[in-house]
Order: sequence, then C-alpha cells, then structure tokens
Amino acid sequence: MFVYDKKLQYPVKIKNTNPRLASIIISQYGAPDGELGASLRYLSQRYSMPYPEVQALLTDIGTEELGHLEMVASIVHQLTRKLSDQQIQDSAFAPYFVDHTTGVYPTAASGFPWSAASIGVKGDPICDLTEDLAAEQKARVTYDNILRLSDDPDVNDVIRFLREREVVHFQRFGEAIERVRQRLDQKNVYFTNPAFDK
Amino acid sequence: MDETKQAAGCENGKGQLPGCAPLANPYVPGQEWGQRYCRADALAQGTLFPELNLPFHLAVQGNAVPKTPLSELQALCFVINELGLYLDTHPEDTEAFQLYQRYAELEKEGRKRYEAQFGPLTQKATAADSRYSWVDNPWPWSGKEGN
Repeated sequence: MFVYDKKLQYPVKIKNTNPRLASIIISQYGAPDGELGASLRYLSQRYSMPYPEVQALLTDIGTEELGHLEMVASIVHQLTRKLSDQQIQDSAFAPYFVDHTTGVYPTAASGFPWSAASIGVKGDPICDLTEDLAAEQKARVTYDNILRLSDDPDVNDVIRFLREREVVHFQRFGEAIERVRQRLDQKNVYFTNPAFDK
Repeated sequence: MDETKQAAGCENGKGQLPGCAPLANPYVPGQEWGQRYCRADALAQGTLFPELNLPFHLAVQGNAVPKTPLSELQALCFVINELGLYLDTHPEDTEAFQLYQRYAELEKEGRKRYEAQFGPLTQKATAADSRYSWVDNPWPWSGKEGN
C-alpha cells in the first residue's frame, strides 16, 4: 500500500522556462537509467529477496525513487511552462512537443520510450543487488552529464541533490550484499540460489 | 555539523571490509556510525553523512535551501528517510535508532504545525479540516508553497 504525501522530497522551484533543458532532463524520467526504472527494479526485486531487512531496503529505496520520479517530472513541467511558439520551434524540444505537447511522458532524451527491457529482476539475491549497484552508478553518471549540459542554477541544485542520493543508495546496496553474503556458504556463495533452492 | 563523534575503528570516509574475503564477490565497505550534518545541511547536501557526500566537480557547492515552513518539514522527513536506509542495513545500531525516534517525534509535531497552517499533506489528514481541502492548489509540482 502506498500513501501519497502532498509535498516533494526536496524543493523544486525553476524560475526560467528552458525547453532545451527539458528535452535533456526527461531522460531521468523515462530512460534506461532513470527514476521510473529504478523504482520498478527495486520494488519488483523485493518478492524473491529471502532476507527481511533487504526486503525493507528495496522497499524504502524503491519508494524514495518514486519521489525522485516526481521531482524530475516537476523540473520538466516547470521548464516548459508558458512556452512561446518561437521557443518551441527554435529548440531541441520540438520533437518531444509534437508527440506530447507539454505533458510529462516517460521517454529517453533520445526519443526511445521507457521499456522494462532496461531493468533487471533475476530472482537471485547477489545478482539482483549487483545489478542495483550498477544501476545507481548509471543514474549517477546521467546526473553528472546533466550537470555538464545545464547552466540553470535552479535545475542544477535539484540535480545535485538527486545525484548524491544515488551515491548513498550505492553504499546501502553494497552493505546489503554483505548481509546476504554472511548467510551463504562462506566457501562458495554461488553454491545455491537462496531465493529458489530449498 | 552538530555531532562530531569519530567513527570507531576507521577514519572518516573509510569503512571496514571483511579480512581474507572470498574471491569473486562484490564488496562495499560497511559504514560506521559517525559524523552527521544538522538537518538543514543534510537536506541541502542530499545526505545526512559527511563521509558519503561525494559531489561532482560541476556541482554547486554548499548552497543552503531557503528556510520556509515546507523546507523545514522536508528536512525532518529527509533525515528520517536517510536514517531509515542506514537502519535497514544496520538494524542493530541502537544509537542510530534513538536518533530515528527523536526525529520521528519532531516530524510528527512539524507536520501537525505545517498542516494547521497550509492544509492537509495526506488525504486522510483532510478529515481534520472544516471542508474537503485535499483538492486545493498548490500541488507539489507547481513549485508554489502553502495553500
């Protein structure tokens, strides 16, 4: 069960319209390494995770990522408010605009719509958590690249926050792997899949 | 930084790895309970823990989040979220749990104060209002604060 809290995790207040920037930031909404994939990856991995505190971690990080999804959407929404015809025609936002106007749609900046093919749920604790380490790194680099491409301080302030969350999540998934490992055969952690083998 | 207790065993920014570790396993050093930012700095930095604050070279450094009733509540909620993730992988850490309990109390009071002034944050909290104000603006993505 999820209950909605009518506030963002971190303030998003963008003063200036900037359709070019919106066409880049949308990637963290719907690209392979974006927040939608992050949330669905972790929330879906919970069911085959045999250890309760790691189920808790996947639940809590998956939930936080939903909050990040809302923050990324808020940035895109605020960057595309009150667009003039000229601003749309002259910007990289035009291909997105023709399909979605100023609605927020889960797609990569490259135009590829969100796909479950970009996330992994393998049903094996070490495998899934190793995927999660990689996922947090990929999201971090996407935020690095957004910081390279953006000169709007209002946007960068939020992106910097979101990027730091990926670093913290990486740490927690790494600690979760250690807790899993301690429960497995110390000579060969790959002897069984504890999510499946009895 | 309000609390500056040194992590036991390792210097700041370092953590323990298992000795003589099995091969072909992924390892991240475990974090030990140590320094924390105050809650306003934690929200601004994106972490409660200075040793986990690893910014990119293009990041804006050390900017404060403007102090508003909303950002004060966001800071309380953020610390609870951050401590919760720490406790998920350190459920035996009683000191961290005590801080979690303290922040949960502060958040409860802070939420009550905020809702009394600006309206309900959850649909259920609308029941305490004189009318069904859940539907009122602003919704969070607008960037506006308060009702």
